[in-house]
Amino acid sequence: MRRGIIRGIAAIGAVALLGLGTACSNEREGSSSDKGAAAKGFAKDSLIGVALPAKTSENWVLAGDLFTNGLKDAGFKADVQYAGASTTVADQQAQISSMVTKGAKVIVIGATDASQLSTQVAAAKQAGATVIAYDRLITNTPDLDYYIAFDNYKVGQLQGQALIDGMKAKKPKGPWTIELFSGSPDDNNSKVFFDGAMNVLQPLIDKGDIVVGSGQKDIKQTAIQGWKAENAQSRMDGLLTSTYGSKKLDGVLSPNDTLARAIITSVKGAGKPVPVVTGQDSEVESVKSIMAGEQYSTINKDTRKLVAETINMVTSLQKGDKPQINDTKSYNNGSKVIPSYLLPPVIVTKENAAEAYANDPKLSPLTK
Amino acid sequence: MTRPPTLLEMRSITKTFPGVRALADVSLVVAEGEIHAICGENGAGKSTLMKVLSGVHPHGSYTGDIVYRGENVQFHDIRASEQAGIVIIHQELALVPGMSITENLFLGNEPRRRGSIDWKTAQRRALELMEQVGLHEDPDTLIKDIGVGKQQLVEIAKAFAKDVKLLILDEPTAALNEADSQHLLDLLRGFRERGITSIIISHKLNEIEAVADTITILRDGRTIESLDVRADGVNEDRIVQGMVGRELNSRFPDHTPDIGEVFFEVRDWTVKHPSSEDRLVCKGSGFTVRRGEIVGFAGLMGAGRTELAMSLFGRSYGHYVSGQVFKDGREIQLKSVPDAIRNGLAYVSEDRKSIGLNLLDDIKTSMVAAKLSKIARRRVVDPVREHRVAEEYRQSLRIKTPSVDEGVVKLSGGNQQKVVLAKWMFTDPDLLILDEPTRGIDVGAKYEIYGIIQRLVDQGKGVIVISSELPELIGLCDRIYTVFEGAITGEVTRQDANPELLMKKMTSLTKTATP
Amino acid sequence: MSRITDLQKNLFGGTTSNARQFGMISTLVAIVLLFQIWTGGLTLTSGNLIAVVSQYSYILILAIGMLMVIVAGHIDLSVGSVAAFTGIVVAKAMQEYSIPWPLGIVLGLLVGAVIGAWQGFWVAYVGVPAFIVTLAGMLLFRGGNQYIGNADTVPVPLGFRDIGAGFLPEVGPDTGYNNLTLLLGLLACLGVVAREFKARQTRREMNADAAPLWVTGIRLAVMVGVIVFATLRFAGGRIGTSVPISGIILIVLVLAYSYYTRNTIGGRHIYAVGGNARAAELSGVKLKRVNFLVMMNMSVLAALAGMIFVARSAASGPQDGLSWELDAIAAVFIGGAAVSGGLGTISGSIVGGLVMALLNNGLQLEGVGSDMVQIIKGLVLLLAVAFDVYSKKQGRFSIIGALARPFQRDQADTSAEPPKTATDTDTDKAQVAG
Repeated sequence: MRRGIIRGIAAIGAVALLGLGTACSNEREGSSSDKGAAAKGFAKDSLIGVALPAKTSENWVLAGDLFTNGLKDAGFKADVQYAGASTTVADQQAQISSMVTKGAKVIVIGATDASQLSTQVAAAKQAGATVIAYDRLITNTPDLDYYIAFDNYKVGQLQGQALIDGMKAKKPKGPWTIELFSGSPDDNNSKVFFDGAMNVLQPLIDKGDIVVGSGQKDIKQTAIQGWKAENAQSRMDGLLTSTYGSKKLDGVLSPNDTLARAIITSVKGAGKPVPVVTGQDSEVESVKSIMAGEQYSTINKDTRKLVAETINMVTSLQKGDKPQINDTKSYNNGSKVIPSYLLPPVIVTKENAAEAYANDPKLSPLTK
Repeated sequence: MTRPPTLLEMRSITKTFPGVRALADVSLVVAEGEIHAICGENGAGKSTLMKVLSGVHPHGSYTGDIVYRGENVQFHDIRASEQAGIVIIHQELALVPGMSITENLFLGNEPRRRGSIDWKTAQRRALELMEQVGLHEDPDTLIKDIGVGKQQLVEIAKAFAKDVKLLILDEPTAALNEADSQHLLDLLRGFRERGITSIIISHKLNEIEAVADTITILRDGRTIESLDVRADGVNEDRIVQGMVGRELNSRFPDHTPDIGEVFFEVRDWTVKHPSSEDRLVCKGSGFTVRRGEIVGFAGLMGAGRTELAMSLFGRSYGHYVSGQVFKDGREIQLKSVPDAIRNGLAYVSEDRKSIGLNLLDDIKTSMVAAKLSKIARRRVVDPVREHRVAEEYRQSLRIKTPSVDEGVVKLSGGNQQKVVLAKWMFTDPDLLILDEPTRGIDVGAKYEIYGIIQRLVDQGKGVIVISSELPELIGLCDRIYTVFEGAITGEVTRQDANPELLMKKMTSLTKTATP
Repeated sequence: MSRITDLQKNLFGGTTSNARQFGMISTLVAIVLLFQIWTGGLTLTSGNLIAVVSQYSYILILAIGMLMVIVAGHIDLSVGSVAAFTGIVVAKAMQEYSIPWPLGIVLGLLVGAVIGAWQGFWVAYVGVPAFIVTLAGMLLFRGGNQYIGNADTVPVPLGFRDIGAGFLPEVGPDTGYNNLTLLLGLLACLGVVAREFKARQTRREMNADAAPLWVTGIRLAVMVGVIVFATLRFAGGRIGTSVPISGIILIVLVLAYSYYTRNTIGGRHIYAVGGNARAAELSGVKLKRVNFLVMMNMSVLAALAGMIFVARSAASGPQDGLSWELDAIAAVFIGGAAVSGGLGTISGSIVGGLVMALLNNGLQLEGVGSDMVQIIKGLVLLLAVAFDVYSKKQGRFSIIGALARPFQRDQADTSAEPPKTATDTDTDKAQVAG
């Protein structure tokens, strides 16, 4: 009896091993040349992965919704993922790997840390997926295929110009005292915005028409880690205490709306008059603030347009066409120049708000 | 002699746990106003019986009837039994150390006025209750600042706060010194005069003999007999006979000492208290131990016996001030526990559970814990040797367990103590210091442990026994030192030893010359 | 009753929390099967398994150290920050002073050792609770990371990236599989069989009844089956991928530390200190040294984990290591360690960590958002430990009984004479307990 059991177990074991062996369908294949894959196109109902950063700003949430719906409307299967709030980088890495496993044909990445994704991008490329960097350029990798964004250098220039215009409107003659803020140092765009703005401001600083009150003009000094409002607010609090006890502050260069509002909150908290503050992203609260005359300007980078263009790009890849590109020299990610498609941004102040947001169902009521 | 009316009758109580019949048809009759002792070895079912009575094991989980004050009662929890005036005081005191006496007395039972605690009333009632149990302390004193004996009194006062009719004390004097025990027993006698009935569970047979009116003896979950102390002329041997089911000729195994040369000597041992710098816990103590000799240390609780032992054992207590230790004529340094073990010292602590054993370990792991290097090759433990060693000790010490892979936590107190002894015997010590080696252990296991100690000295080792039970020291030791307030106050040989003499030396500082 | 424990012990090895481990392994298998079906077979594809290993190996490495810290009765909250700090130091050193990458790894381990010595000093020799020391360390080294890195990301050279993103190379003839991985699998199978053989021999030497042959048979069949399956999967991935280097580092560490904690004097001492520090001290264990080494070891492993992550990410960034400590602690507790110390096994923690990893991975494959993933992971942690507490209160792990019962009946039916020892020991136990 007992021997029977042993024999039975042995038999089961053998069958199981055989079963396992055959079940292990070999996944071995050479790293297929993906250029060819892209040229051939792919099935119309393929999976498209979209990996976005944590839901820290309205724009990412909106973009996610637009991608989900837009890709579905275009006939694709969409997998849209946000990184977790506390473990952003590791989450995003895992999400991209999952998309690769699931066989996504195109992976659109809004990077949470643009320089820590090269392993995943390489894996995606080897699996035959096309990788598009959305809004933030992924660095340190030769495997990135395309970059799509608003022209961020232009954004910076527009912010710089708006700052000057705003201050001139309040106080026609210089010198004006300003403070500079820049974005998160791990976001590749932060430097582009800042450089664009300085491109406009530097000549006036050199002439002495504009004075940076605290003297902090370096991007390292002005950076706000993680684009976090609380970090901006505490830096502004510090500046007000150290520099603006009696001096008057005319303007603040802020790279986006979240930081702009934090800066205004800080100034108001200190009981000072609100200076000219720039912004970007057209967030609801900031549009309200502009209409109320507090924040001076924002940038309208219509997320709808950007997402729509991205989906266009995906569609042309699906058909096997070459997607539309309008810049092949500006964006070098450290390994190569990435073919890019850049959309023009629009500056919005109280004057042109109604016109700028006319097509935006959420923002246009605020401008009336 | 007319017997007073019956207060409590438990009739044919049977209680089974999965796989174990803890109580089989047990009966207990307690008369009103008496002190009723329940005796039995560990595991005889005493505690289970009391848990049935107090509702810890609720009605329905056992069979049989409880008739209390003429009524058939069914307690579903402790609250119900307390409402009926039955209060049980466990061995482990249920007091909050960081709270005052008053707060503890009324914990969960606070006098209220308009929603908040009425501390004035509480204070006043606390003083009344403390008076009843003869506790003279400031009611605001924190529990942790008073001794175990007084804590015990607080626990009893707490029972009075609940209007107690039947007081059950589970091993009330196990942790108390002689004086405190005496006070407690007097208190019980006082209660008897005031008509309060008490049930007392104790291993200390001399106390039972002194205080109890009736004794019920349990063995293996059955009632063996009920003795009327005065009428039946009960003495300790009679009780022991009932408990173990045979006549014990002696409570100590026969032993002919074979005492050799002095091999261990301590001179001028002085140690400071760990936290208060100006207090000395050992004051220039000196003593000797001969090969093959059992040396006793007698003293009241807090006299400094444990402190002396632990400070010798690798300076595990207090701050070393001065003193020398000689072994076989050479001075040895005992600066750490590994030093002490290397020099052949072993210390079996008085508190098995909190500092003697790792209760998470199994038996074999515990046994080899103090000298792992003996069963290891290049720092890697050899499981075969470990198992073999543990098996040997299991057999030679007669440890009751199905396997040495069992957790020590499953063992009874006596068997745990044997495991601790095995752990230290495994280190091949020349001198074993046993601190209260038989505390909380039943009579049968005590006898075995005495036997083990005697076998150890027969191998030419020296053994120091620290004990609060004078009869134990007198019966076991070849020589006894008395300790009082950190100093050695006397040395008594086996021939001269008697309780009166020892007690006198333990309570005074008349220092006799020590070699 | 003893037959059930026998089966547990024999099938799943280890000494302490057997029941716990059995429960966790069943949970792990259940999760794998669930997701395998749910994701339409994606979970057990080569690509996914390889991705999971390289994604979570650093958390599992942390769990090894954390297990020892928790067993010793402490906790380490600083591991994420230590990892991030080491990462940036190594990345900067390689970038600015262009030191070769092998030296970079040595430097990283050294940084870990120094940090560990610092924390161990406070915990062991000053007596500050580890919770406080490492909470301070968490702030200290996170700040250090940002100070040195200027909150910027610093890329690392290609050679260095191999420890996080590299695989076993392709060598030898074209077998359709990665040859080195096959070799590794073969070695693992031989190792398992040899160990089983040795274990039986040991039991015999102890005069203990060795497990019945059929139990050994099942056990070997299951283990070899799993190894063969895993080997084929890892060897059969895309060309250029196989077992990740980080996975190999992990396996080596798991084997080494399991052996250390189970079989050596040092390992015993850690459990002794966690189970009852005073008793351990009075048994001659050098308490301070044990505490010091445990804390120091944790930081060295954290440094290693940090370097692996940096290598995999190709750069050291300011967000490295965020909330890693929580993942590692969760893995250890899911794996059956006691909050109060003294209990737990390396293998249990690894299983606990794998449960979390596969849960994460499966949910992501299903496209579940990271918000829901966090909620689910939180509940799993709570339920796992609650279940543990509950079954401890009940005295018995009921699933075990249920699962083992069929075997037991089988045994009683088939063997000619009834298992006498079982009944004997039962009555014995009853007497002791009574």
